[in-house]
Amino acid sequence: MNVGVAHSEVNPNTRVMNSRGIWLAYVIGVLHVVLLSIPFFSIPVVWTLTNIIHNLVMYLLLHTVKGTPFETPDQGKDRLLTHWEQIDYGTQCTSSRKFLSISPVVLYLLTSFYTKYDPAHFVVNTASLLSVLLPKLPQFHGVRLFGINTY
Amino acid sequence: FFSQIDVHLELEDQLAKFMRTEEAIIYSYGFATIASAIPAYAKRGDIVFVDEAACFAIQKGLQASRSNIKLFRHNDMADLERLLKEQETEDQKNPRKARVTRRFIVVEGLYMNTGDVCPLPELIKLKYKYKVRIFLEESLSFGVLGEHGRGITEHFGINIDDIDLISANMENSLASIGGFCCGRSFIIDHQRLSGQGYCFSASLPPLLAAAAIEALNIMEDNPDIFQTLRTKCARIHEALQGISGLKVVGETFSPALHLQLEESCGSRENDMKLLKRVVDYCMNNGIALTQACYLEKEEKCLPPPSIRVVITVEQTEQELDKAASLLKEAAQSVLN
Repeated sequence: MNVGVAHSEVNPNTRVMNSRGIWLAYVIGVLHVVLLSIPFFSIPVVWTLTNIIHNLVMYLLLHTVKGTPFETPDQGKDRLLTHWEQIDYGTQCTSSRKFLSISPVVLYLLTSFYTKYDPAHFVVNTASLLSVLLPKLPQFHGVRLFGINTY
Repeated sequence: FFSQIDVHLELEDQLAKFMRTEEAIIYSYGFATIASAIPAYAKRGDIVFVDEAACFAIQKGLQASRSNIKLFRHNDMADLERLLKEQETEDQKNPRKARVTRRFIVVEGLYMNTGDVCPLPELIKLKYKYKVRIFLEESLSFGVLGEHGRGITEHFGINIDDIDLISANMENSLASIGGFCCGRSFIIDHQRLSGQGYCFSASLPPLLAAAAIEALNIMEDNPDIFQTLRTKCARIHEALQGISGLKVVGETFSPALHLQLEESCGSRENDMKLLKRVVDYCMNNGIALTQACYLEKEEKCLPPPSIRVVITVEQTEQELDKAASLLKEAAQSVLN
């Protein structure tokens, strides 16, 4: 194979969030969505929508989809784990995990500011934030509430 | 994979044509064939039903696969059905888990450890009833059973598409090294990247691949050698029947028989010493035999100590008779 391509990582999914440039791409990606949404709605609605869509997509990609899209040499050890649980082979509080936990909070703060702390927007944004922060807690590692998404 | 040249591809094509399957894949080490094929499909959380008398290579493959192993008594279809029924009730309790669990049955065509055949027609019925996949290991039956040597599927007249994967050693009847797996393209192609023994190893020496091709040509050109082999096996089987102190274990048409002690002398070590004396007696008089060797601590179900007698089609009738009479003499002198 090519020089410098071989790696001994059993599950590459665990190191995706540590890759070069992914945090920057993530930040720019979010800003991209914000900028795109502006012309049609009022500013508070745009920000609330950005917040909700960001959290929804994050929940789906990190906490719903399980396993790996490629074949791993570890005989399916992570077949029942979500991407969040696979990051860094299950080590808690690594820098990638901290970054991914803080970014919805930062987005929430910006959203609350831009919606002028309106009560209806507040309810929606807080619910969305909680839905994406709770699964990231170390106590929730491997927890499946009501047996949903177990297999 | 590494250093694969046209001879290997030719051998794969010829094997696929001979066995009448869509595709075949060559491994460079016979033991690694089934030991890589099983973990390529069975992963953690899957269930594999395997016969107790499965050979060591199968056991290592199962160990590498990390799946749940359920052993059933040798050739006992009732036991297997009981296990399958238990699994079915478990599945009904948790259907979501059952949907992601794969189930396999691993059997050998002609068992190396006991010399008998697996009841394939009943297995096919069980397969369709309980939705399990069958992996057939044909190391001893390839080139032995069936009219044209295609193995146990030809012997029983079963459609080859009913078996999901056939794996065989080329080290027995093809007199080469390595092994092959054959089946549908969809199944075999998966092993090109997931079969650890294929992907992370080099191909077998081209000379031996050419030798295997030549052996296949011989098999195709002279289909009567299989009948000759079976008559010779039957002859030896009969000739060895009357030996006092040793009993013959194996089918009449099996080229590998085991001679076990009729009454054991207490410990396995003593049995093995006694058998060694028989083997040495034969060796001193011109016949080479071997004891069946096992890694005692690693086998799941250790078979009793025995002398393994193997017959080839090239041996003449006089040689076979001489060997049988010498064994009788050896048993007489050593065991009495």
